[in-house]
Amino acid sequence: MPTIVELITAILLLLGSTLMLSTGIGLVRFPDTFCRMHASGKAGTLGVVFMVLAAVEYFFGTPHDVWVRGGLAILFQFFTTPASTHLLAQAVYLCDYSVSDRTAVDELRKFLPSQPDQVFNQE
Amino acid sequence: MSPFLLIVMRLSLGALFITVALCLYRLSLGPKAADRAVAFDTISSVFVGIICVLCIKWGSTLYFDAVWILMLLGFLGSASIAKYLIQGRIF
Repeated sequence: MPTIVELITAILLLLGSTLMLSTGIGLVRFPDTFCRMHASGKAGTLGVVFMVLAAVEYFFGTPHDVWVRGGLAILFQFFTTPASTHLLAQAVYLCDYSVSDRTAVDELRKFLPSQPDQVFNQE
Repeated sequence: MSPFLLIVMRLSLGALFITVALCLYRLSLGPKAADRAVAFDTISSVFVGIICVLCIKWGSTLYFDAVWILMLLGFLGSASIAKYLIQGRIF
């Protein structure tokens, strides 16, 4: 019979691995670079957070306790993953633009100059 | 450790390895460089999850510091690839 700690760990592990698996399926099946970034940036972040929470919760109170490192890792993941995904989306949008046929609305397109060199490389 | 938790850990490790396989598929034939960067970032996240599951399975937190290193490598790789795509140089 599993204890309460093991039950909560199992639930967190199943949640995290399900989110990770949905990230992989989204990376393969989505039609567009921006859609793939959507899959990787949201579900991947939450899956990592659930996995680290499972480890922190399992070792909580035992002699090797990792809640400081785990909490800082979760905070770091919440800071860095949106930043890197935003940078990549900006790069693709400015330099290598192509969307799928099913894209309905792109409101940013008419505000941007035609050449990306006019936005960056201004020194 | 109860056999219930062992079965759950085996299931989640299987799901994580299937995710690594799907990401390697996208990494090998992504049409753009940004697809490959996203797939690489996701692979580093999945390795963080694998490290957490293995820490629970082995009952030791010796390898938990690798979580930091993998997150840093994923972020720096994606950021530098994006800078390179925009500017043609990294720094």
